[in-house]
Amino acid sequence: MKRIAAVAVFTFRELVRSKLLFVWLISVVVLLGLAFLLSILSYGDILNIFMDLGLVGMEVSGLMVLILSLAVTYTTEMDQKAIYLQLAKPVTRGEYLLGRILGFFLLNALVVLGMGMVVVGLVLFLGGAPVPTLFYDCVVFLLMEMLVLTVVGLTFQMIATSMVGVVVYSFFTIFLGHLTGEIQWLLGKELAPATKFALQVVYVALPNLEVYNLKDRMYDPTMVLGLPQWEEVVLYTIAYSFFVFLIGWVNLEKREFK
Amino acid sequence: MSPAHPQSALLKAAPLAILLLFLGQAFLSARLGRWVHPEPVEYSQAVRMDKRVASTLRAAAFLSGYKVLVGHAFWIKVIQYYGDSFNSLDRYSKLYDYCSLASDLNPRFISVYTLGASALAFHLRRMDEAIRLLQKGINSNPKDQRLKLMLAAVSYQDSGEFDKAIPFLEAQIDQGDAPYMLITILANVYEKVGRYGDAIKLWQKILRESDQQEPRIRAGLKLQELYGLEKSGKKAKP
Repeated sequence: MKRIAAVAVFTFRELVRSKLLFVWLISVVVLLGLAFLLSILSYGDILNIFMDLGLVGMEVSGLMVLILSLAVTYTTEMDQKAIYLQLAKPVTRGEYLLGRILGFFLLNALVVLGMGMVVVGLVLFLGGAPVPTLFYDCVVFLLMEMLVLTVVGLTFQMIATSMVGVVVYSFFTIFLGHLTGEIQWLLGKELAPATKFALQVVYVALPNLEVYNLKDRMYDPTMVLGLPQWEEVVLYTIAYSFFVFLIGWVNLEKREFK
Repeated sequence: MSPAHPQSALLKAAPLAILLLFLGQAFLSARLGRWVHPEPVEYSQAVRMDKRVASTLRAAAFLSGYKVLVGHAFWIKVIQYYGDSFNSLDRYSKLYDYCSLASDLNPRFISVYTLGASALAFHLRRMDEAIRLLQKGINSNPKDQRLKLMLAAVSYQDSGEFDKAIPFLEAQIDQGDAPYMLITILANVYEKVGRYGDAIKLWQKILRESDQQEPRIRAGLKLQELYGLEKSGKKAKP
């Protein structure tokens, strides 16, 4: 446990030192500025629009930092062989991967929660309106989504042979992960068996990111979010993350560093 | 790494664990899929607007997972479309399609239905489209009272019972930040039912608060007309 924590802290420090948080600072200003502009240009409940766009901003900045940090660390770890130093220490490869996942997730949580605090602060103190409870649920769901994508991204890092590969695979996972509802709809239509099989594979193998997309349903009066839903979402997050982590770990164990 | 490490046992069991976890997550994903989409997704067909624009927007929204963001951005485009007087040449023929698409992208955003239906019913007199848009809104937001009230108001407007539309319009304007169009509609309804004093107050409000030339000129002309009507005690033409 100590070794995992040591790798996590080391990874977190490495990411902070690589100035990735500047990206976050820029995205806070740009995305929240955009959210403010769109909400005053639009007609309707300005605070609702601002909160919707604030949540989008939180997710976008989290994803941006995640993908950039995956790209940056691939260059240092794999291309510049910094991983040799880590693996030469008394740390197993499984502990190393788990530590890195935790380090990445810490940075992502910092980014998402930091932006969330800015949004809540602006709504409370400038807008003078209460923040709906569901907003906080959205933030927790967003954090679970970031955890799944962090595990997936780092697994890609262990499998891919280039930095471009890691970025491209991660992008496609994010895009296709949001299409699960539409894939489900397509599966209900009459399709060629091969197409249907391919869609079924995509549907079960990719992370169902729509599960975490609570921000699109924040004002849905028919939505039910009770303990059973929470349990299922948390279980799904754990099951999917652990499933992908194991694939990454097995790959890392088999990988030869020359 | 020492081969006797306890983690090596877990590593040996990894293929089986991967298989079990895969099945578990697939099962949970399917269960949660039904929670996310309790009913099959239905999308309206664009009739008068370019189908490619509708498809591209839907694709951008679903691929990125930011339906709400694309919906809000497109809603601004709808407002611009309705605000551009050039589009009045074809009586804002695409307005229903635009509102319908905006509501597909952001079905919980009530303003799409209220503003869209107000424009379609009270300004453009396309009652069928206004009622269809409101029904769509009520289907997506079954607990929202505003949409039900508005559907009633539009139905009264359709049947010529203007006085019954007044409470809905007043409630909308009392919420604040009402568009100019909605205020003029209420002022005209007041005039139609003979409540000149209330109509005058609203036109005075427009004259006082509007920052554009055209509404101010219109308000000035209407006020002259209404002062005359009030003085002579005449009833307005239905």
